[in-house]
Amino acid sequence: MRRKFSVGLVFLLTVVMLGSAVPGFAQDNELRVTWWGSQARHDRTIEVIEMYEAETGIDISYEFAGFGDYWTRLNTQAAGDELACVIQQDYRYISEWQSRDLLMPLDQFVEEGVIDVSSIDQSVLDSGSVDDELYALSLGSNSQTIIIDVDAFEEAGVELPAADWTWADFEAIALQIHEETGIWAIGPTLPEIALWQSLYLGYGKNVYNEDGTGLGYDDDQPLIDYFSMIIRLQDEGAVPTQEEAAEFIDAGPEGTPIVTGRAAMDYRWSNQVIAVAEAAGEDRNFILWTLPRPVEGNSQNFIKPSMFFSITADCDNPEEAARFINFFVNDLEANEVLLAERGVPISTVVAEHLLPLLSPIDANTFEFLAMVAEDPAPLMPPDPPGAADLRDNVYTPLFVEPVLFKLISVEEGAQMLRDEAAFVLGENE
Amino acid sequence: MTEIVQSAAPSVDNLRRWSLVRRRSVKRQNNLVGYFFISPWLIIFLLFTLAPMVISLGLAFTNYDILSDDYEYVGTANFERMREDIRYERSVKATFKYVSWVVPLRLSFALAIAMLLNTKRRGVYFYRAAFYAPSIVGGSVAVAVMWRQIFGNAGIVNAFLEILGLDTYRWLGDPTRAIWTLIILAVWQFGSPMLIFLAGLKQIPSELYEVASIDGANGFQKFRYVTLPLLTPIIFFNLIMQSIHAFRQFTQAFIVSGGTGRPLDTTLLYSLYLYQRAFVNFKMGYAAAMAWVMLLVIALLTLISFWLSRYWVFYETKES
Repeated sequence: MRRKFSVGLVFLLTVVMLGSAVPGFAQDNELRVTWWGSQARHDRTIEVIEMYEAETGIDISYEFAGFGDYWTRLNTQAAGDELACVIQQDYRYISEWQSRDLLMPLDQFVEEGVIDVSSIDQSVLDSGSVDDELYALSLGSNSQTIIIDVDAFEEAGVELPAADWTWADFEAIALQIHEETGIWAIGPTLPEIALWQSLYLGYGKNVYNEDGTGLGYDDDQPLIDYFSMIIRLQDEGAVPTQEEAAEFIDAGPEGTPIVTGRAAMDYRWSNQVIAVAEAAGEDRNFILWTLPRPVEGNSQNFIKPSMFFSITADCDNPEEAARFINFFVNDLEANEVLLAERGVPISTVVAEHLLPLLSPIDANTFEFLAMVAEDPAPLMPPDPPGAADLRDNVYTPLFVEPVLFKLISVEEGAQMLRDEAAFVLGENE
Repeated sequence: MTEIVQSAAPSVDNLRRWSLVRRRSVKRQNNLVGYFFISPWLIIFLLFTLAPMVISLGLAFTNYDILSDDYEYVGTANFERMREDIRYERSVKATFKYVSWVVPLRLSFALAIAMLLNTKRRGVYFYRAAFYAPSIVGGSVAVAVMWRQIFGNAGIVNAFLEILGLDTYRWLGDPTRAIWTLIILAVWQFGSPMLIFLAGLKQIPSELYEVASIDGANGFQKFRYVTLPLLTPIIFFNLIMQSIHAFRQFTQAFIVSGGTGRPLDTTLLYSLYLYQRAFVNFKMGYAAAMAWVMLLVIALLTLISFWLSRYWVFYETKES
C-alpha cells in the first residue's frame, strides 16, 4: 500500500516536472534572435547569423515569422518572460515597450564602443530613442512609395508623373491606365491606414493628437475627398472593389496584382520592393515613385526607420547581444549579404560600399530615398498605444469597409471614425 | 472459503467487524488506485482547464492586457462595453446566423446519410469510412486553406458554375455570401453525428417496421411514425452537442477570412472576435468577459433545450 503510494508520488512528480518544461539556462556564448519578414529576409538573415557564428563561436538560435504572427508570439513571450535577447522592433511599438520596461537602453554599449555609431546620423539614433535614451537601433531607412510598372505605363501611353504629383494627377493617370489597358491602376492598397496618416501629413497634421487621446485634426474634408476618389476609381473599375480585394488578404508578394500583371502600380514601403521585385522576376521594369500629395499640400513622404533591433530587459548577456547588433549594422561583408533588404543602411560607410553591388531595383530604392530626402515631410511621431486597436477594430471594420461597400456615406464614415477613435484612444487619458 | 473464515473467527460479531474493516480498506485502496490511474487527466484538467477558467472569471472584471503586470479591478466595465461595441454586435449576429444554419443542415445531412448507410449492402463499410473522413480532416488548417482556394475567384466552385452557365460570385469578398463558405464547410463535416445516428438507427427493433409494413405504412410513414419518434433522444443529444460545437467554431473562420472576419465582419464568429481582442489587441480582461458571456449563453440555450425536450423527446424506458 505505502509502496504503491510512493510509486504514485514519484509518478506525479515526474509528470509535474515534465509539464513545467525547464527553460534552457542561457550561457555566455548563446544568443537568441527573432525577426519578422518575408522569405528573402529570412534567407539573408540566417546567412549572416551563420557567418557571425563561424567568426565568433557564439551559438545563435533564431525564430522568425510574418509580421502579424511575430507580434502575437512576441507579446506572448513577453508575458511569459521568455523573450529572446535580440528582437526586431517596430517604430510604432518602441515607446509602448519601453514604458513596460521590456527594453534595455543601449547608450552604455555606444559609450563603450561595442556599438559603433560613428557613421550613423544623429537623426537616425533619435528615431530609436525614448526620453533621450537609445532603446533601438534602426536597421535601415525607408519611405512609402508607389511602385510603377514602367512597361504598363508605356503600354497605356502614360508618362511618368512629376515627383510632386498630386492625387488629382493620380486619379487622371489611374483612369487613363484602366481605359487603355483594362487592368487595374493599383492594387487594393489605397484605403490602408498608413496612407490616411500620411494624407494628413501632407497638410502638416498628425492624425493622432499629442497626448494620443484622440484625433489630431479637425477637418474631415481631406479624408472625405480621398475616399470619394477611391469610390470613383472603384466604380470605374480602375481599382479593385472590396469584393475583389478579399482575394489578396495574406496573398504575399507573389500574389499582389502588380506582380501578376493585373495592376500597373502598387503601394508599399520602399524596402518591401525587393521582395516584390524578386517575386515578379527579372524581366520586369519597376521603378519607385513618391506618393501623390494633396492638391496645394505638402509632400506626404517621410523617411522612417524601417525596423530596429532592440535588446530585451532580461537579456542575460547583453554585451554579446550588442556586439551582434553592431556586426549586423556595421560589418561590410554581412551587409553584402543583407543587401539593404531592411531598407537603405543607416551607416553611410555601408551604404556607399553597397552601391556598386546592387541590382537595378535595389539601387533604385537608394535613389528613391535620395529623391524623398529633397523634399521630405517631417517624421511622424510614433503611434500612441491603442493605434493597433484603432486599426483593427475601428478604421478597417467601421470606416473603410462600410464606406467602400457603400453602406454609409463617406461623411458618415468620417464621423464614425472620429467618434470611435475618441472612444478607443480615450483610454490613454 | 466460508468454512475457513468460520473456523478462524468463530464469533459472528468478530466476523462482521473483520469483514467491515477489510472492506473499507480495500475500498480506500481501490479509490487511491483509481485516482492514480486518472491522475494524468486529473492534473491536466486542474492545471489547464479548471485553473484557467477560475482565473479568467477573475480577469473578466479587470483591465488585464497580458503584457504588463499591473492591472486594476474595473467592475463590470467590460460587460457594459459589450453593449456599445459595434463589432461585438456584428460578431453575435454572424455567430447566430452561422449556428442556426449549420446545426439543422448538418443534422439533416447526418441523418439522411446514416439512413442510407443503415443497410446491409456491399461496400457499406467503405462508404461509412468515406463519409466520416471529412470530419477527421475537416477541422484542419490545411482543409480551411483549401476551402479558400475552392471558393476563390478562380476556384473550382466558380469554374463549375461557369460550365453550367450560371453566374459566378466573389464568394469570399461578398458580405452576403462569405458566411456560406463557412456554413458549407461545417455541414460537410457531418461524420460524428452520422455515426451516432447510425448507432441509434440500429437500436430500433426491426419488428416495429414489420408491424408497420403489415399495417400498410409506406416508406415515409415508417420514417415519420417509427424512426423519428424512436430516434428523438439521439437527435436531442446530437442537437446539443452540435450546437455547442458550432458556437465555438474558430479555426475555419480564422483562416478563410485571414483572421479578420472580413468582409464587413460577416465571418467574425464570436470565438474569432474573442481571439482578436485577447491576443491581437491584448484586451484580455474584455476577452475573458466575452468568454464568460458565451459560456452563460450556451448554458442557457442548453437548459432551454432540455426543458423543451419534454415536449418532443420520447424515452422508451420512461413509459414502460
